[in-house]
Amino acid sequence: MVKKKHAFLLMVIPAFVLFFTFHTYPALQGIFYSFTDYKGYGNWDFVGFKNYFNVFQDGRALSAYGFTFQFAIVATILVNIISVLIAIGLNSNIKLRKTLRATYFLPYILSVLIVGYIFKFMFTHLLPQIGQALNIEFLSTNILGNPDLAWLGIVLVAVWQSAAFNTLLYLAGLSTIDDQVYEAASIDGAKPWARFWKITFPLIAPFFTINMVVAMKNFLMAFDQIVALTGGGPGQATESISLLIYRGGFQGGEFAYQSANAVIYFIVIVAISIIQLRVLERREVK
Amino acid sequence: MKFSKGLAAITLGTSLLLAGCGGDGGADGEVTLELFSNKSESVDTYKGLIAEFEEQNPDINIKLEAPPEAETVLKTRLTKNDLPDIMSIGGNATYGELAREGVFHDFSDDEVLTNVQSSYVDMLGQLVGPEHDGVYGLPYATNANHVIYNKEKVEELGIEIPTNWDEFVTALEAAKEAGEIPIYFTLQEAWTGMSVWNGVAGNLVADDFAERKNNGEASFVEEYDEVADKMLTLLDYGHSDNFGVGYGDGNNAFATGNGVFYIQGNWAIPEIVKANPDIELGTFALPSNDNAEENDLVSGVDVALAVSDSTDHKEEAMKFIEFMISQETAQTYIEEQKAFSGVEGVFQEDPVFEGIRVNFEEGRLTSFPDHYYPAGMGTENLVQDFLIEKNKDAALQTLDSEWDKVQNR
Repeated sequence: MVKKKHAFLLMVIPAFVLFFTFHTYPALQGIFYSFTDYKGYGNWDFVGFKNYFNVFQDGRALSAYGFTFQFAIVATILVNIISVLIAIGLNSNIKLRKTLRATYFLPYILSVLIVGYIFKFMFTHLLPQIGQALNIEFLSTNILGNPDLAWLGIVLVAVWQSAAFNTLLYLAGLSTIDDQVYEAASIDGAKPWARFWKITFPLIAPFFTINMVVAMKNFLMAFDQIVALTGGGPGQATESISLLIYRGGFQGGEFAYQSANAVIYFIVIVAISIIQLRVLERREVK
Repeated sequence: MKFSKGLAAITLGTSLLLAGCGGDGGADGEVTLELFSNKSESVDTYKGLIAEFEEQNPDINIKLEAPPEAETVLKTRLTKNDLPDIMSIGGNATYGELAREGVFHDFSDDEVLTNVQSSYVDMLGQLVGPEHDGVYGLPYATNANHVIYNKEKVEELGIEIPTNWDEFVTALEAAKEAGEIPIYFTLQEAWTGMSVWNGVAGNLVADDFAERKNNGEASFVEEYDEVADKMLTLLDYGHSDNFGVGYGDGNNAFATGNGVFYIQGNWAIPEIVKANPDIELGTFALPSNDNAEENDLVSGVDVALAVSDSTDHKEEAMKFIEFMISQETAQTYIEEQKAFSGVEGVFQEDPVFEGIRVNFEEGRLTSFPDHYYPAGMGTENLVQDFLIEKNKDAALQTLDSEWDKVQNR
């Protein structure tokens, strides 16, 4: 028995040590420095909660929170609707099912930055040409250059890319449903619409929960897409919180201040994830 | 904290060990110096120069380091008290921070100081701030922020190179009437707006604005009013999608005959020529002032040479600095890098820069205003926002409040 326990410990400890050294320890350091005026180098002093108070008075930080939540909520909803639809399609008995599954997963393998630059090219060169040809006013210039529309470009890229992974999770969920359930339902005369809402959706509810939480968390931490597409612009219209923390912390010499911002944001994301889990788990079929 | 001390001890131990090895090598009189550069573009040029130096000084080896994210690397090495012997870095806010830390050698009493242009020495001094009066870096290569023009189009339209604001607007108007795009903007990338901002503000706002602003004696609302107005005037002469085109696309578009004027730094010229080798370009200082005599060229220190104050081989390091500052080396550097020289009497001969040559010869130069703004305020995005919203009063107030906010952190 004792030997067996040792074996299990040996399996767990390396990962724990690595995780602690490269993740937990720096995170704790970040929390520590958020109470100082550290610039990233040189001397520092303790300043108490000053950085935290300043974050709440920082208009730039507040507008970054506004943009990030708007973006994350819209993108999460879109991704989940689209993924469920694609998953149901790919789960049915259609031709080229395997090829299509592979195709839909492709975006997830590609690097976010590269995808971002390709879409940026399309937004800059292709879309305006189409817009001009069809006389559509808002498409005739680059939408990434318009502060009111740029966020939609980012939503489009983010959804296109992350729908792949969420589709995969929904597919896994759909494959757990026994065909007999559907047979019984059709004998009872259930229409497709009713079959989806009464059988499919309740049965994949745990997958719905995890998809909502994972997607929301990923979109709240959006960074790469924004760097590639707009760099936070035009103006500060698409500056996400991650981007603000990176910019201010590493380029602006505000390491301590942005550490405080990061700590606050960490708490916000944890709170949102817990609330989501609580609410969504309650309506799952037990 | 104990953990990091342990790490530091190990690192220190290793470096001592390595230093020990170096010492052994020094028995036959050979010294290895580390040259740290922040520009990947100049690696080949530096390699050539180093080979020449090593031939002249067989007992000194120079090891070139040009890592990506160089400024971050340098700051990290500062925390470990492990500065390179010689540094070739940009004249920006980071230079000022490092100099204030007191880690650079003070060139005040060295003879090399007499060989570099004093206006650039003053610019570097302003970055360090008034409390430190040493000379912590030598201006080596400099850059220029100017108006680039398409020679063929300018001749076709019969435009004379403008020397004051009215002439510039007249030229833009003429280009517009002829159906050309007067100025090709690339404002999708916020930083390109700063080329315009710096060009306009450089000749309109007093040099000590940042210092007075820090003391609460100046504000954007009071002193940048004219700058903001003239920015908006220039924007009227753009194309249909000013905020939809980025820097790379803009270079290509300008190279293929879109736009008469292009407001950018000298670094854009090799890119434009790469896109169209046949294009004929000219340059002039942005004449934002109504008075022609007040219009200087905005120019900054692109490469400053510094020596670590704590290096064990200061004599050898200074030898390398003297080699770099010599007329022949400086000429080779700027010819290969298409830059301008901080060394007295060394001029860029490329015909593209004919229009601004007089500025260098007569020292009619002014510094980049934004080099003195606090780095954390994100000026470029605020300026981009101003150009989109076109609300002058609100934008200038935001600039003031963001500056104060960063100062108070």
